[in-house]
Parts: sequence; C-alpha cells; structure tokens
Amino acid sequence: MVENSPAPLPERAIYGFALFLGSWFGFMLYLIWAYVPETWLFSLGLTYWPQKYWAVALPAYLLVAIGIGYILLFGINMMSTAPLNSTHTITDNYAKKQQQKKFQEEAIPALRDIPISEVNRMFFLPEKGICNSR
Amino acid sequence: REDPPERRYRSASGAAIALRRRQHSASCRELAVRCPRLQLRSLSAVTSAVWLAAYGLFVLTQNSMVLSAAIFVTLIGLIIYLHFMKVDQESLLVIGSLGIQVTSSYASGKESTTFIEMGQVKDVVINEAIHMQKVIYYLCILLQDPGDPQGVSEVVPLFQSSKPRLDCLIEVYKSCQEILEQRKTAPQSSGIK
Repeated sequence: MVENSPAPLPERAIYGFALFLGSWFGFMLYLIWAYVPETWLFSLGLTYWPQKYWAVALPAYLLVAIGIGYILLFGINMMSTAPLNSTHTITDNYAKKQQQKKFQEEAIPALRDIPISEVNRMFFLPEKGICNSR
Repeated sequence: REDPPERRYRSASGAAIALRRRQHSASCRELAVRCPRLQLRSLSAVTSAVWLAAYGLFVLTQNSMVLSAAIFVTLIGLIIYLHFMKVDQESLLVIGSLGIQVTSSYASGKESTTFIEMGQVKDVVINEAIHMQKVIYYLCILLQDPGDPQGVSEVVPLFQSSKPRLDCLIEVYKSCQEILEQRKTAPQSSGIK
C-alpha cells in the first residue's frame, strides 16, 4: 500500500521549494509585463507579449469566477438533493442487492440495511418493541 | 365510539395547524390537517408594498398606467394564489381493503383528489429527507413494485403544504398502521378485482 499520510517527506520538501521559486518567478514576470512600458521591452528584443489589457482583465475574471463559484456550488448542491418523492430517500442500489445472512443464535447479527417499514415500527409503535423484529 | 377532539400542532415552519381524526367504521378512518387561513395583516402588507412601489414608479415616470397595472396585478395575483397555492385543508381517507384517498382543498374552494388502491400500497411510513436546507419528517405512501415484493416503485409524499411536525405525524402514522395491519390478518378480502 502506497504511503498516504500527510507527514513531511524529503521529496515533498523539494516539490514545495520548487513550487515556491516558480510562483515567485511567475509573479515577478507578471509585474514586469504589467508595469514596464512596451517600448523598453521592445528595445530589449522581447516583442511577443500578450496585450497589456489582459494584465487587468485576468484578475478581474478570476475574482468574479470565484464569487460565482460560491453561488454555483450552492446551486449544484440544491439541484442534486433528491426530491421528496424519489426512492433515493429510502433505498439505493447497494441496499437492493444486499444478501441476507442467516440468523444465528447468540451471535451479533450481520450488518445490513434495515427496511424503512421496520425502522418506523420500531420507533413509532412502541408496543411492538424488540420481541417482534426479525 | 367518540372521535377525539381536534388537536393543535405546529408545522415545520412554526405555523399553527390542527389535526382532526374521524373513524367512520372499523376499517375506515379519515385524518384531516387544517392549515392556518390567509392572515389579513400579511395580505395588507403585501398589497401596501406593491402599491407603494407602483406609486414610486408613477412619481418617477409620471405614467398613470403603472397605477392601474399595479391594481390589476394585485387582484390577479391574489386570485392565482388562492386558487393554486393556498391550501386550506389536506385530508387522508384510509379504507382498509379498498385504498387510500388523498384530498387537498384550496382556499378558493378547489379540491384535488388522488386515489391509490390498496393493492398498490406497500406501506405508509414517516421518512426524513433534506428539504430546502432543513431536514424534515414527512409522511409518505410507499407503492409496491409489481416485479419485486420487497421493492418500492414510487414514493408519494403526503401533507406537503401543511408539513406537520413529528408529533402530529406519529398520530397519523399510528392511525394508518392500525388499518393497514388488518390487511395481513384478513388476506381473503382483496378489494375490487
């Protein structure tokens, strides 16, 4: 089994440091591209840059996307909640296909999904109680 | 036998509802949940808000059509609300060996009825589900799957507008179960074939 713990490892330290350097370099490059006038960059020979419009547009798009993401996630959650009239509130494929083990005396009963009718009887009809359940 | 008097309960949102139980015979019971009526204060509040907004628009645009449109919208909106959305009473009539009838009466007098014959009914249970950022208990009829004796083909939720809380639902559940149990002890009477 592959090691899954979040503990620090030497490889992870190296990845982290490489990511740190890379992100600093990317940030410096972004600042240079956004602030240094185009003529200076052309005089250095670097001519193939995206339009400076994007230096402002991309952060704006990102912030709006994050804001919409909150609302979108909330909406997706509400849409994927099962409605009150669906059978998914009662059972699912695993419960339908489960196998019943034979009842053994003096052994802990096997784990299984109890049908909702039985659960209801146990909760809400107290006089039936435990002696009638199978 | 005397019917128990009407008992007051609360709905899931806190409104006061009343449950009335009637026993017509040994195998026939009717359970009716009455929702609170439309309050005069909420009707006045909504009407005033709409008309104030329309007056504000009129002051801005100086177009008197806005005022007549607001009156029209209020009247039509009230009629649509009373006829399609405001439920006055929801009732459940359980007739052992025949079926279950669910009736919703709206504030305008309209009644909508659904009948489910007993052969299709597997059980009446209290289920809990997530509804609008809350977990609510609701009573539902489980319909039998014709191919699979243990399976449930459909779930029919009951009392959708009044949404009673658990104490009221337990009363309704016990009454229904007393009738449904008679099915097991008398299997030869299987209704109309």
